[in-house]
Amino acid sequence: MPGQVTWPVCCYTVADVTGKSDESGGNALASAAGRVLENLAELEPELVAAGIFDAAREPVAVASGSSAWASEAAVLLDAVEAGSGDEKLDSAHIACEGGEAFVVSESGLSLVAVTGRFVLASLTSYDMRMALRDAVRSAGLNPASEAENGGNADA
Amino acid sequence: MLKPHRVVLDKVSSYTDEAAAFMRRRRHHRREFVRIRFQSGAEADLPEGTPEADRIAESARRLIELG
Repeated sequence: MPGQVTWPVCCYTVADVTGKSDESGGNALASAAGRVLENLAELEPELVAAGIFDAAREPVAVASGSSAWASEAAVLLDAVEAGSGDEKLDSAHIACEGGEAFVVSESGLSLVAVTGRFVLASLTSYDMRMALRDAVRSAGLNPASEAENGGNADA
Repeated sequence: MLKPHRVVLDKVSSYTDEAAAFMRRRRHHRREFVRIRFQSGAEADLPEGTPEADRIAESARRLIELG
Protein backbone atom coordinates (compact mmCIF):
# COMPACT_ATOMS: atom_id res chain seq x y z
CA MET A 1 0.00 0.00 0.00
CA PRO A 2 1.52 3.39 -0.90
CA GLY A 3 2.74 5.43 2.03
CA GLN A 4 2.62 2.47 4.39
CA VAL A 5 5.60 2.18 6.66
CA THR A 6 6.98 -1.14 7.73
CA TRP A 7 7.42 -1.38 11.43
CA PRO A 8 10.06 -3.83 12.56
CA VAL A 9 9.37 -5.25 15.98
CA CYS A 10 12.20 -7.02 17.66
CA CYS A 11 11.48 -8.97 20.79
CA TYR A 12 13.77 -9.63 23.68
CA THR A 13 13.09 -12.36 26.14
CA VAL A 14 13.71 -11.08 29.54
CA ALA A 15 13.61 -11.49 33.05
CA ASP A 16 11.10 -12.77 35.22
CA VAL A 17 8.42 -10.14 35.35
CA THR A 18 5.90 -12.89 35.55
CA GLY A 19 7.17 -14.33 38.75
CA LYS A 20 7.51 -17.64 36.93
CA SER A 21 10.92 -19.13 36.58
CA ASP A 22 10.16 -21.09 33.41
CA GLU A 23 11.10 -19.63 30.07
CA SER A 24 7.67 -20.06 28.52
CA GLY A 25 6.21 -17.25 30.65
CA GLY A 26 8.86 -14.82 29.41
CA ASN A 27 8.41 -15.95 25.81
CA ALA A 28 4.64 -15.57 26.02
CA LEU A 29 5.03 -12.07 27.37
CA ALA A 30 7.62 -11.13 24.74
CA SER A 31 5.47 -12.37 21.86
CA ALA A 32 2.35 -10.73 23.31
CA ALA A 33 4.28 -7.49 23.76
CA GLY A 34 5.54 -7.61 20.17
CA ARG A 35 2.03 -8.15 18.91
CA VAL A 36 0.53 -5.29 20.93
CA LEU A 37 3.25 -2.95 19.67
CA GLU A 38 2.28 -3.82 16.11
CA ASN A 39 -1.36 -3.15 16.95
CA LEU A 40 -0.41 0.12 18.58
CA ALA A 41 1.46 1.18 15.45
CA GLU A 42 -1.69 0.59 13.43
CA LEU A 43 -3.78 2.61 15.86
CA GLU A 44 -1.32 5.51 16.07
CA PRO A 45 -0.23 6.79 12.67
CA GLU A 46 2.10 9.30 14.34
CA LEU A 47 3.94 6.66 16.34
CA VAL A 48 7.68 6.75 15.69
CA ALA A 49 9.03 4.17 18.15
CA ALA A 50 7.80 2.25 21.16
CA GLY A 51 8.94 -0.30 23.68
CA ILE A 52 7.60 -2.32 26.56
CA PHE A 53 9.79 -2.68 29.63
CA ASP A 54 9.52 -4.77 32.75
CA ALA A 55 9.88 -3.56 36.32
CA ALA A 56 13.67 -3.95 36.11
CA ARG A 57 13.72 -1.65 33.03
CA GLU A 58 14.65 -4.56 30.80
CA PRO A 59 13.10 -4.41 27.34
CA VAL A 60 10.39 -6.99 26.70
CA ALA A 61 9.71 -5.81 23.15
CA VAL A 62 11.01 -2.81 21.27
CA ALA A 63 10.03 -1.35 17.93
CA SER A 64 12.60 1.17 16.83
CA GLY A 65 15.10 1.65 14.08
CA SER A 66 17.85 2.37 16.59
CA SER A 67 19.60 -0.21 18.75
CA ALA A 68 20.32 2.40 21.42
CA TRP A 69 16.66 3.31 21.76
CA ALA A 70 15.87 0.73 24.45
CA SER A 71 18.64 1.90 26.77
CA GLU A 72 17.66 5.56 26.30
CA ALA A 73 14.05 4.67 27.04
CA ALA A 74 15.17 2.97 30.26
CA VAL A 75 17.00 6.18 31.20
CA LEU A 76 13.82 8.15 30.56
CA LEU A 77 11.83 5.73 32.71
CA ASP A 78 14.34 6.21 35.54
CA ALA A 79 14.19 9.98 35.17
CA VAL A 80 10.39 10.04 35.20
CA GLU A 81 10.31 7.76 38.23
CA ALA A 82 12.77 10.04 40.01
CA GLY A 83 10.71 13.08 39.02
CA SER A 84 7.59 11.57 40.58
CA GLY A 85 9.08 11.93 44.04
CA ASP A 86 7.13 10.06 46.69
CA GLU A 87 4.05 9.57 44.53
CA LYS A 88 3.62 6.46 42.41
CA LEU A 89 3.91 7.04 38.69
CA ASP A 90 0.95 6.34 36.48
CA SER A 91 1.91 8.04 33.22
CA ALA A 92 3.94 10.88 31.81
CA HIS A 93 3.79 13.10 28.76
CA ILE A 94 6.84 15.04 27.64
CA ALA A 95 6.62 17.47 24.76
CA CYS A 96 9.77 18.58 23.00
CA GLU A 97 10.29 20.57 19.84
CA GLY A 98 10.99 17.50 17.73
CA GLY A 99 8.23 15.25 19.04
CA GLU A 100 6.53 13.90 22.11
CA ALA A 101 7.33 11.07 24.47
CA PHE A 102 4.77 9.13 26.46
CA VAL A 103 5.21 6.75 29.36
CA VAL A 104 2.46 4.57 30.79
CA SER A 105 3.00 2.13 33.65
CA GLU A 106 0.60 -0.66 34.39
CA SER A 107 0.80 -4.07 36.05
CA GLY A 108 4.56 -3.95 36.47
CA LEU A 109 5.18 -3.13 32.82
CA SER A 110 5.93 0.24 31.27
CA LEU A 111 5.29 1.33 27.73
CA VAL A 112 7.41 4.12 26.35
CA ALA A 113 6.42 5.67 23.01
CA VAL A 114 7.72 8.47 20.83
CA THR A 115 5.28 10.23 18.52
CA GLY A 116 5.22 13.22 16.26
CA ARG A 117 4.33 16.64 17.66
CA PHE A 118 0.76 17.60 18.59
CA VAL A 119 -0.82 14.18 18.81
CA LEU A 120 -3.94 13.76 20.92
CA ALA A 121 -2.32 13.06 24.26
CA SER A 122 -5.24 11.48 26.08
CA LEU A 123 -6.03 9.19 23.16
CA THR A 124 -2.42 8.10 22.84
CA SER A 125 -2.16 7.38 26.58
CA TYR A 126 -5.42 5.45 26.46
CA ASP A 127 -4.24 3.30 23.53
CA MET A 128 -0.95 2.67 25.30
CA ARG A 129 -2.72 1.59 28.49
CA MET A 130 -5.00 -0.74 26.55
CA ALA A 131 -1.95 -2.18 24.77
CA LEU A 132 -0.27 -2.91 28.09
CA ARG A 133 -3.41 -4.55 29.46
CA ASP A 134 -3.67 -6.61 26.30
CA ALA A 135 -0.06 -7.78 26.68
CA VAL A 136 -0.62 -8.72 30.32
CA ARG A 137 -3.85 -10.55 29.52
CA SER A 138 -2.40 -12.35 26.49
CA ALA A 139 0.63 -13.51 28.43
CA GLY A 140 -1.67 -14.93 31.07
CA LEU A 141 -0.30 -12.79 33.85
CA ASN A 142 -2.26 -11.82 36.88
CA PRO A 143 -2.20 -8.01 36.96
CA ALA A 144 -3.16 -7.83 40.61
CA SER A 145 -0.17 -9.87 41.70
CA GLU A 146 2.26 -8.33 39.28
CA ALA A 147 3.50 -5.17 40.74
CA GLU A 148 2.94 -2.16 42.76
CA ASN A 149 1.26 -0.29 39.95
CA GLY A 150 -2.19 -1.65 39.40
CA GLY A 151 -3.10 1.20 37.09
CA ASN A 152 -6.33 3.12 36.91
CA ALA A 153 -9.37 0.98 36.59
CA ASP A 154 -11.28 3.86 35.06
CA ALA A 155 -8.83 4.42 32.21
CA MET B 1 -17.85 57.15 6.74
CA LEU B 2 -14.50 56.67 8.50
CA LYS B 3 -11.96 59.41 8.33
CA PRO B 4 -8.92 58.45 6.18
CA HIS B 5 -6.50 58.42 9.11
CA ARG B 6 -8.86 56.04 10.96
CA VAL B 7 -8.65 53.57 8.07
CA VAL B 8 -4.85 53.65 8.21
CA LEU B 9 -4.85 53.25 12.00
CA ASP B 10 -7.27 50.32 11.83
CA LYS B 11 -5.12 48.61 9.21
CA VAL B 12 -1.92 49.10 11.19
CA SER B 13 -3.51 47.87 14.39
CA SER B 14 -4.98 44.83 12.64
CA TYR B 15 -1.55 43.95 11.21
CA THR B 16 0.07 44.26 14.64
CA ASP B 17 -2.68 42.08 16.14
CA GLU B 18 -2.00 39.44 13.49
CA ALA B 19 1.73 39.58 14.16
CA ALA B 20 1.20 39.30 17.92
CA ALA B 21 -1.13 36.32 17.45
CA PHE B 22 1.42 34.64 15.18
CA MET B 23 4.15 35.10 17.80
CA ARG B 24 1.87 33.74 20.54
CA ARG B 25 1.03 30.67 18.46
CA ARG B 26 4.67 30.10 17.60
CA ARG B 27 5.69 30.40 21.26
CA HIS B 28 2.94 27.97 22.27
CA HIS B 29 3.94 25.46 19.62
CA ARG B 30 7.55 25.53 20.67
CA ARG B 31 6.77 25.27 24.37
CA GLU B 32 8.18 22.18 26.00
CA PHE B 33 6.62 20.60 29.05
CA VAL B 34 6.90 17.63 31.34
CA ARG B 35 3.57 16.39 32.68
CA ILE B 36 3.36 13.52 35.13
CA ARG B 37 0.23 11.76 36.27
CA PHE B 38 0.28 9.83 39.52
CA GLN B 39 -1.67 6.78 40.59
CA SER B 40 -3.54 8.94 43.07
CA GLY B 41 -5.08 10.71 40.06
CA ALA B 42 -3.13 13.90 40.66
CA GLU B 43 -1.23 15.50 37.80
CA ALA B 44 1.80 17.73 37.90
CA ASP B 45 3.54 19.91 35.35
CA LEU B 46 7.16 19.92 36.42
CA PRO B 47 8.38 23.50 36.34
CA GLU B 48 10.93 24.25 33.67
CA GLY B 49 14.45 24.68 34.96
CA THR B 50 14.18 22.25 37.85
CA PRO B 51 16.76 19.43 37.80
CA GLU B 52 14.05 16.73 37.53
CA ALA B 53 12.29 18.40 34.61
CA ASP B 54 15.59 19.08 32.83
CA ARG B 55 16.71 15.47 33.25
CA ILE B 56 13.42 14.12 31.92
CA ALA B 57 13.31 16.58 29.01
CA GLU B 58 16.91 15.79 28.09
CA SER B 59 16.30 12.03 28.04
CA ALA B 60 13.08 12.52 26.07
CA ARG B 61 14.92 14.70 23.55
CA ARG B 62 17.59 12.01 23.05
CA LEU B 63 14.90 9.37 22.68
CA ILE B 64 13.03 11.44 20.09
CA GLU B 65 16.23 12.05 18.14
CA LEU B 66 16.99 8.32 18.05
CA GLY B 67 13.48 7.56 16.83
